[in-house]
Order: sequence, then structure tokens, then C-alpha cells
Amino acid sequence: MPISDIPIFSMLRTKLQWHQERQRLLAENVANAETPEFKPSDLAPPTFEAPASGVAPVTLRRTSPAHLAGADGTRDFASRAAHDFEVVPTGNGVSLEDEMMKVAGNQMDFQAATAIYTRGLGLIKTAIGR
Amino acid sequence: MDLMKSIAIAASGLRAQAGRMQVISENIANADSTATQPGGDPYRRKIVTFQSEMDRALGARLVALGTVRPDASDFQVKSEPGHPAADANGNVKYPNVNPLIEMADFRDAQRSYSANVNVINATRAMIARTLDILKS
Repeated sequence: MPISDIPIFSMLRTKLQWHQERQRLLAENVANAETPEFKPSDLAPPTFEAPASGVAPVTLRRTSPAHLAGADGTRDFASRAAHDFEVVPTGNGVSLEDEMMKVAGNQMDFQAATAIYTRGLGLIKTAIGR
Repeated sequence: MDLMKSIAIAASGLRAQAGRMQVISENIANADSTATQPGGDPYRRKIVTFQSEMDRALGARLVALGTVRPDASDFQVKSEPGHPAADANGNVKYPNVNPLIEMADFRDAQRSYSANVNVINATRAMIARTLDILKS
């Protein structure tokens, strides 16, 4: 059994992937803070029901190397339009302060997850007597 | 790796804001550039535009500078009969640059630039933490 199949590690991996994906969306929001008509987006928080429903995610398969690459097999999280703090006359809804807050929060949660992951590895090391 | 994408997106933001600062400083530097011939047009203020573009290889929406467009507003006209650029009535056209607006714009660009740097730093810390798992 690979180490990533142990429930605690697979759960933490999903969480790390979620934060990684969120960081990408937040970076997009900040980079486009001056783009007219840009609406910020954010990830919907992961729910317990979604992974527990038992439905395997449908992924695209490349049948020819000439095809464009689609999403790589990783689990996708639903993104949603973020709540607009303020919309300036150019139609841009990004609030830099709000985004900075989310980036800091995302970083902290990510670090918490990696810390727990490290502890989990320590637990296994103890079990095998190292 | 997905975190690298975040850094690439923030870097596109840095590039766009740096390009904007370049145009702003051009405007400020040329705030008094008049024409060389009598009655000619002086320097015309430039305006940057931003556009969001989809990078297919990266799978992310990057930001890029759009076309730099001239500001169509009227020039300032001052009466200086002795000026080399003065027309028949002694009026000289000065650029339509308002240093106050340019400074406000510059601060805005600076703020956006710092925000993008902040995102890069946060992402870097996340990558470092991921690598720390290996060290344990």
C-alpha cells in the first residue's frame, strides 16, 4: 500500500491541492487588479459530501498526441465568483486588501496542513521503530 | 507544479505594472515638452490599458498591457509670445499632462506591484513548506 493511500495522507493531499488551486485563483485576482470588467473568483470550500458520494470523477483521455492537453487527472475543485467588496467604474471588482487577507489565510492553512503531514510521517517512523 | 503557476501569474502582474510605471514616468518627464515649430502640437499624454489573456500552456488568466493609447483631451494653452513654439497670436500649447494625476496613478501602480510581490512571497513560503516535509 503506497503511503499516499493512508487515509490521513490522502485527506491532507486533497487539502494541499485545494490550497494550491486557491493560490492560483488568488494570484489571478491580484494580477488582474486593474483589468477592466474583471470579476474576482474564489474556490468553493471543500465539502464532506462531495468526496464521500462515491461517484468517480469523469476525466478526459487524450486519444492522439496532436490533441490539446486538457486538465491533468488531478481532482478539480469548483470555483465560484467571489463576493464583490466594491466595483470601480471600470467594472473591476478586485479589492487588493481583501485578496491580501485571503492570500495570507491560504498560506497559513497550507502550512498547517504540511505540519500535520510531517507529524503523520513521524508517526509512521515511530511505528517502524526508527 | 501548480504553485509555480501562481508565481508565473503574479510575475505577469509585475510585468504589466512595471510597463505602466514606464508610461507614467514618460508622461511626467515630458510634462513640459512643447513643439519645436511655431503652432505645432506638444507631447500628448499616453494612457495604458490592461487586458486579461488566457495562457493555454499555463491554463491561467495572465494580465498583459494592451495598446498604449493617446489621451484625446485638450492641450493647455498659455500666452507666451516670445516662445519658439508660439503661434501667430502668441499662444503656446503645453502637454495635457497633470502631474498630480500622474503621481496618483503611480502610487496605484506601486500598490499593485507590492501586492503581486506579496503573492510571490506567500507562494514561495508555501513551496518551502512543502519541501520541508522531505526534511522531517
